[in-house]
Amino acid sequence: MADTARIDLLDPADVARLGGIEIVAAGVVEGFLAGIHRSPFRGFSVEFTEHRAYQPGDELRYLDWRILARADRLFVKQFEEETNLRAMILVDTSRSMAWRGAPARLTKRAYADRLVAALALILLRQRDATGLITFDEAVREVVPPRVRAGQWARLVRGLERTPDGGGTAAEAALGRLTSLLARRGLVVLVSDLLFDRDLALTALRYLRHRGHQVIVLHLMDPAEAELSGAPEVRFRDPESAVSVVVRPRELARAYRETVRREIAAWRTTCRRHGIAYHHVLTDLPFGMALRMLA
Amino acid sequence: MTFLHPVVLLGLAAAAIPALLHLLERRVPPEAEFPPLRYLSEAERQSARRLRLRHVLLLLLRTALIALIVLAAARPLVPAPTAVRRAAVHQRTALVVILDNSVSSGVVVDGRPVLDRLRAAARASVAAAAASDRVWLVLADGVARAGTRQALLATIDSAALSPRRLDLTAAVRDAARLVNAEPLEGREVHVMSDLQRTALGPGRAGVTRGIRVLALAPTSEVPANRGVGPARVSDGAAAVPIVGTPGARPAAVTVQLRGREVGRGLAAPGSTVSISLPPGGPGWWVGEATLDADELRADDRRVFAWRVARPARVTASGGAGPFVAAALAVLEQGQRVRRGTDVVMGDRLDGGAAMSVVMPPADATLIGQLNRALAARGARWRLGSAGTPGAVAASAVAGIDGIQVTRRYRLDAIGDAGRGKGEDSTVLARVNGEPWLARDAGILLVGSRLDTAWTALPAAPAFVPFVDALVNRLARGEAPVSEVEGAPGVRFRTHGTDTVGAIVSGPDPRESDLTPAPAALVRDVLGADVLDAAALGSARFAGGGHGDASGPLLVLALLLAAAELGVATFTR
Repeated sequence: MADTARIDLLDPADVARLGGIEIVAAGVVEGFLAGIHRSPFRGFSVEFTEHRAYQPGDELRYLDWRILARADRLFVKQFEEETNLRAMILVDTSRSMAWRGAPARLTKRAYADRLVAALALILLRQRDATGLITFDEAVREVVPPRVRAGQWARLVRGLERTPDGGGTAAEAALGRLTSLLARRGLVVLVSDLLFDRDLALTALRYLRHRGHQVIVLHLMDPAEAELSGAPEVRFRDPESAVSVVVRPRELARAYRETVRREIAAWRTTCRRHGIAYHHVLTDLPFGMALRMLA
Repeated sequence: MTFLHPVVLLGLAAAAIPALLHLLERRVPPEAEFPPLRYLSEAERQSARRLRLRHVLLLLLRTALIALIVLAAARPLVPAPTAVRRAAVHQRTALVVILDNSVSSGVVVDGRPVLDRLRAAARASVAAAAASDRVWLVLADGVARAGTRQALLATIDSAALSPRRLDLTAAVRDAARLVNAEPLEGREVHVMSDLQRTALGPGRAGVTRGIRVLALAPTSEVPANRGVGPARVSDGAAAVPIVGTPGARPAAVTVQLRGREVGRGLAAPGSTVSISLPPGGPGWWVGEATLDADELRADDRRVFAWRVARPARVTASGGAGPFVAAALAVLEQGQRVRRGTDVVMGDRLDGGAAMSVVMPPADATLIGQLNRALAARGARWRLGSAGTPGAVAASAVAGIDGIQVTRRYRLDAIGDAGRGKGEDSTVLARVNGEPWLARDAGILLVGSRLDTAWTALPAAPAFVPFVDALVNRLARGEAPVSEVEGAPGVRFRTHGTDTVGAIVSGPDPRESDLTPAPAALVRDVLGADVLDAAALGSARFAGGGHGDASGPLLVLALLLAAAELGVATFTR
């Protein structure tokens, strides 16, 4: 019963009507943290250093189960606190992100803004340096990662300053992003991934190769997952203006299969390269989306 | 294949509706933004072949579905298997069955009368008719009988050999008119006849398009036949013509008188045998000519009649002229006339004579006197103005047709009868269409004097027989023996206690020639397809027994609808 009153579990569109990005994000984070009773990103800011023999009183979650299984000896893992974790959130602001399948829903961009603001707040509260880059066909806004006071407000303003649908193709911008992320850290890409998968993965693999921990949040409007509409519709790509006439009813199944294959391909490819991939529909409550990252 | 409701076929245009809808629907589809167009294009690319196949399949199924429903509504009729032909239906048809039960159909072929075969074929046609058909039956009498199927079948079963001859050309022409007047989809005439060549009348039947005439083919082997034609008696001998198949062998003819054979002869078709008759007293005599029996018995016997009259007692006045006097002298010598006053011939009216043969006086001034005398006797004819020369025509006296008349008076009708019916009943000969010889009130009035200055008749061989006919037959009111079609027999015409004539009946001589008409001739004259019994059975009612294919078509349409539903549902 308590969860149903939490703002992070409400419908994103309803939550968005409560106020601006900051209010919504703060409310979401409050509810989210209250729900899990601990920091969701524990371990983000620590790194493994060495093993030592287990002593009574040690927390069992630090027990190294592999050594126990192999050598039947109890060892615990010791970690070193890293105080300068740098998290950079990349937000796709291309024209396709400014689309929604129904008036009652948020656009993908609006959903991404609120989710990113909440994520940034959580990271900053953990004292992690958090930055922001918005891009479409070019990099539009860069907020370097900082932990200082007012950073969250700068991040939110960075989001607000970036207009909707500034460009059409994100592949080139992704290539440029790698050069902006010199120090390794956490990279979170929030996008609808409507660009060439191979080119995008090349950039993401490069980041991963540079030691970054990479998370991909694949945003999708529910109307993009299931094809529907009039008996015959001319669908037009807002970015390329290319159009095609289809009959949604007879193409729905094939389209659903195509989307499923595309998501599976992203997931498989990302996993293969050590990249975390999450598929998020824009009607998913913010709290549940954040939980995917926890 | 035929249709019960062909107008419905116009609905086949509706089969174009799916294609039109397909085209119209594609005209202006609503437009919408859709960012993941790459997914859509990919899905469409992968489904292109399937979708194209689906579209074509659905279009074909829907078009075929509409076409099938329209075809089923038009009630198509297709040839039904023999096993189900009895239960099959056909389009509503106006049908005339001509059953030629004339004399010739009585010929026996293979031990069975041809009429039996014709009856069976006619019966099959009537029995195959449906309640919605309109059926007539025409027999040799030419009368079209309408009625229920059962009534017509009963008529066919009871149809016996008729002494009448059927003119097939006229019968088919009338039948075609009859069925043509019916507002039914089918129009057929079935001719069940032995198709004698002589049964085809003059001209063509002139069957209009849309009317099917089917004729039963004659039997392959038709026997040569001989029959007795109308016999006549003259000068103490009976002339018996033999009719029948040209080239047939001669046959023996026997003439009987009061049950006793009086003569015998041998003759082939086309010839006449003359058999002397024994002298008899005055009065009516009836004889019978018979042939040896052959395959057609109905024409092997014929009755004939003649009258032996007492010689007329005749007097010729001076005004009759020398030619009349000479002719009477010849007749007297031949005991055809006697001297007496029963009949007076001259240019005046003799008040004491019972009968008068009057001709114009040579002196034209006496015409008025003669006319007054005629009027006084109550005659309805008088001599009028001078007429134009011309030939005698349409006379009731044999042998004088065509004889030239150079001078004559017109015969004018007077009194109540005028020029109406009374005139026709008494005019015996005409010149240039005007009366020349007329009879009334015991008076025979001739328009010309019987003199070579007036007419060539006195110089013609027919003059003496003409005078004989005037005094023995025409003046005394004798009627000739007339021939009519019918069963062999004779009937006498009486007037009071007197027998004034005889009607001899017998089959038409043309019925004896059994030679069938070639199929090409039948087709040309009657417009008929000549078919054997089996082919006729298949061809009747626009192709014989037909089945209504609308049921199977509807079932097929149902299957197509199910297939369409399946394709539309499971190929998305």
